[in-house]
Amino acid sequence: MTVPAIRLEHVGKSFALDGGKQFTALSDIDLSIGKGEFVALLGPSGCGKSTILRLVAALEAPSSGRVSIEGADPQALSRSHRLGVAFQDHALLPWLDVRANVALPFQVAGKKVDTARVEELIRLVGLSGFEKARPRQLSGGMRQRASIARALALQPEVLLLDEPFGALDAVTRRQMNVELQRIWSAQRITTLLVTHSVDEALFLADRVIVMSGRPGRIIRDITVPFERPRKPSVMRDPAFHQLVDELTLALEPEGEAE
Amino acid sequence: MTARSDGLQRFMLGLVGIGLFLGMWQVIGVYRLAGLTWPPLTDVLAFITDPSKQTLFGRAITASFSAVITGYGLGVVAGIALAMLGRVVAVLKPGLDRLIAVIHAIPLVALAPLFMVAANRDATPPSIAALGVFYMIYVATTSGLNAASATHRDVFTALGASPVTRFMRLELPAALPAIVSGMKLAIPVAFIGAIVGEWFGASRGLGLLMVSAMQNFQIPLLWSAVLIVTASSLALFGLMSLVERLTYGRYQ
Repeated sequence: MTVPAIRLEHVGKSFALDGGKQFTALSDIDLSIGKGEFVALLGPSGCGKSTILRLVAALEAPSSGRVSIEGADPQALSRSHRLGVAFQDHALLPWLDVRANVALPFQVAGKKVDTARVEELIRLVGLSGFEKARPRQLSGGMRQRASIARALALQPEVLLLDEPFGALDAVTRRQMNVELQRIWSAQRITTLLVTHSVDEALFLADRVIVMSGRPGRIIRDITVPFERPRKPSVMRDPAFHQLVDELTLALEPEGEAE
Repeated sequence: MTARSDGLQRFMLGLVGIGLFLGMWQVIGVYRLAGLTWPPLTDVLAFITDPSKQTLFGRAITASFSAVITGYGLGVVAGIALAMLGRVVAVLKPGLDRLIAVIHAIPLVALAPLFMVAANRDATPPSIAALGVFYMIYVATTSGLNAASATHRDVFTALGASPVTRFMRLELPAALPAIVSGMKLAIPVAFIGAIVGEWFGASRGLGLLMVSAMQNFQIPLLWSAVLIVTASSLALFGLMSLVERLTYGRYQ
């Protein structure tokens, strides 16, 4: 493996609940993600996969252990505007049009808006012609495209995607997966994708990390063997199906699997 | 299409309601159903439009309106400014909240005589108006500045936004609908403040006109002053409702 871009060492995270109880979301997580690697975190809801992403984004601090990005504190990455994020809730600003939303990271970073870059990204995510549309005038899929374009605006070193297509219907979701694969292949940014869809994880990622919940821990770490660029036809490959079955089984709660 | 016809229907029903109200006013007045102190609407309108009364009303309207505008402007600016200060300097927030709650707990009417003796008597109407408006705008802005969603905040944190950028590009725009709603609700408050202030002895204004008309049993004059104040307040409230609708359309 190459030099790790993202590293989690013995990371634990617990939250205080009402009534003084502690809820352990993550316990003893060890994870290394190489530079330019696309890693998918797969697991049932509540397994702590989003918590890992929030730790990497420096939106939460670990209760124990250490999170580092290129050897430094994760905050250093966001403070120097080298992090891109997209969430399940597109989180576009409703008062700005698509172009202004995609240009937002430049303004937040205090940089001059690179209009050529903004136009290029809008074209890349297939939103040409919708530059002046406001988020509420767009469909769910289009909002997510705009949200991903915004995440890519500053050519980030790390891209974090938290269920970006979780709220979309199955057909749109598959289409967005194909497009994200195309966009990612053009940029090859170190990416961490949180998802509960086995197909999505296998189609997009170089490595799939399977987690189980309460407390969240890693139970499987598999390398996806398919060549890039991947075409949708890969999803009909028998090897793909076999991996889907294997991971689906791994996701089943212990004790209930036969 | 249905939304439009719904809107049209509501508008028509509203017109019918206003028509019924004005009709009843007229009928009660014409047949003296509520005694001599209830003139028909047409008498009041004739009184207002009477050329010989123009200077009287003109002076009173100018005085009251400048009190309303000054009080409203001061209240809006101070309300937004202090709410922003409480946001930026977090240490001040609990103290500001408490101080403003205490000021609001004192009835404005009780403060008016104090203003009268402590300040210039013509400064009382705009001061009372400003206090009422200020409280409303402070509360609206404070809650508006908390309106940005958790995910929006996360995006700004992940993008490495400075506190100033976060405030200017997220919190302030997100607060705008709440601020505009506050500004709409503050319109009648500004009128109440100005009129109450004038009752306590301003040298001119519609409030003064009301008090002296009441004491001298000048019934058409009294009703005219009330009608002018009510119509102006309603018109400005309607205008702000329009602004509010435009803001909500854009910012939510």
